[in-house]
Amino acid sequence: MNLSCVSKRAVPWLFLAPALSLLGIFTLLPMLRAAGWSFTNADLLQVDAARWIGGANYSDLLADPRFRQAFFNTAFFALMVVPVQAALAFFLALWVNRPERHWRWLRTVFFIPVVVSMPVLAVLWTMLYQPMRGDQMGLINSLVTHLGLPAQAWLQNPRLALPALAFMSIWQGLGFQMMIFLAGLQNLSVDQLEAAKIDGANSRQRLWHIIVPAMRPSIIFVLTATLILSFRLFVQPYLMTRGGPEGATVSLIQVIYETTFLGREVGMACAGAMLFLLLVAALTLLQRLLAREVRS
Amino acid sequence: MKRWIGWTVSVAVAIGFLLPLIWMLHASFRPESAVFAGGFRALLSGHGLGLGNYVVAWRRAALGIGLLNSLLQIVGILGLGLLFNSMAAYALARLEFPGRRGLFALMLVLLILPVEVLVVPLLLTVRDLGLTGGHGRTLAALILPFAVKAFNIYFLRQHFLALPRDLEEAAVVDGAGPFRIYWSVALPSIRPALATVVVLDVLTHWSDFIWPLVVCTREETRTVQLSLANLFTQPPIQWGQILACAVMVTLPVLLLFRLAQRHIVASDLGAGIKD
Repeated sequence: MNLSCVSKRAVPWLFLAPALSLLGIFTLLPMLRAAGWSFTNADLLQVDAARWIGGANYSDLLADPRFRQAFFNTAFFALMVVPVQAALAFFLALWVNRPERHWRWLRTVFFIPVVVSMPVLAVLWTMLYQPMRGDQMGLINSLVTHLGLPAQAWLQNPRLALPALAFMSIWQGLGFQMMIFLAGLQNLSVDQLEAAKIDGANSRQRLWHIIVPAMRPSIIFVLTATLILSFRLFVQPYLMTRGGPEGATVSLIQVIYETTFLGREVGMACAGAMLFLLLVAALTLLQRLLAREVRS
Repeated sequence: MKRWIGWTVSVAVAIGFLLPLIWMLHASFRPESAVFAGGFRALLSGHGLGLGNYVVAWRRAALGIGLLNSLLQIVGILGLGLLFNSMAAYALARLEFPGRRGLFALMLVLLILPVEVLVVPLLLTVRDLGLTGGHGRTLAALILPFAVKAFNIYFLRQHFLALPRDLEEAAVVDGAGPFRIYWSVALPSIRPALATVVVLDVLTHWSDFIWPLVVCTREETRTVQLSLANLFTQPPIQWGQILACAVMVTLPVLLLFRLAQRHIVASDLGAGIKD
């Protein structure tokens, strides 16, 4: 074995070294440490003094009313956002999937809120949802009262706050899902659609028997991707409601954040992060399984 | 005639859909007392509009330094990321080595790791490395953990795999080594994919919130979104100024989107769709 042979074998690792060292230091190592800390009583200000306490953090978290409330809030948020956003995006995609210039222009319009940063939109929608004070009110209440309905304190009412955040989030992400569906529609066979038309299938039959089956991979991707994104909810409640009123909008990530920075309980926060990661992993696995089923 | 109707419908739908952003722009020019007055009918009036909010918001939010910090963060992430990610992607696509399959599987696993999960352990790691406090250190903490991304490596690998091998083989015949081939043959050939990565990275990191929130502890280290959030939470709350700040934070990305729209292709957004 000569020198050039050794150096040849080292070449791939030279290519990989920078990326792998950064991933190792800033992703893999922290995640391994987090897994370890999740079984200790680590404190934010003295992590080194942590003591092993077994699975206590996990059992405490699962019994903690605020964590459970956050789980149900986040799940309810996802339950509102995912089906509505996916269905709206699907029909928008069908609607704008035409070659004329004004339809292509409209696609860009729907994509704009995706490009605008979430903190900006959270701040903006806080103002749009402003309750009525005399003749001063947010744009939403202005529209609502114009339709003859009563004005609401959208973000201050525990029953309306989470749906209000969901509505805003649906509006924000709609364009992204629409783009995925548009890409899926490009694979649709025009011949098949034409043949069905000639056979006398009406537009509803064509939708359910040709378009939807052909779009199954995109549909599964959009549904599961949106589900995971919805579970990552943080910026909207953090800025718009601070998790209130009465904890009605507190999200899983927010509980992890509070546990770290208000409670200083890093061990507990890491246990929360691990549970969250497990949830995301399970959802991703579900996505892969469904996608495989569709292909076979 | 039919085209005319089409445009009318499109414009009406666009105005309805973008009404929140139109309101943001319009209300940002209003005096403080008029921000919430007059509902949507106020949008039709140009009375009393001015740039006062912008001038005060720029100073109060320290937006100059916020923009500079976000710019430096993004330049750093792009500079390191484009090089490191594409090198790793090239190795995974074209070079033979033991453990390649395992490494690729690791990338696929990392693909699903949400930033929000990483925040707490990453903060402690960054603290142990001494990357907190001052300007340079905070900037390093903003850049180094997010320069390398599993998604970008995965995405660029797909594009390297799609290249015809002839070019690279011709370069081998000419006596070029693997690094030369990567740098002067393969990398220039995937320029459109690199552009997509740049656009997606800029959009992602311009919106960064939770990570800057925990590492940027001093005013002079804040990124743009923190400048805005600070104006939004620190009394006295001045809605007009908050809106002006929101508009200024949004304009650069809208401009980028307008210029780089063709690099955001729908099929790229769903890049994981077939795996």
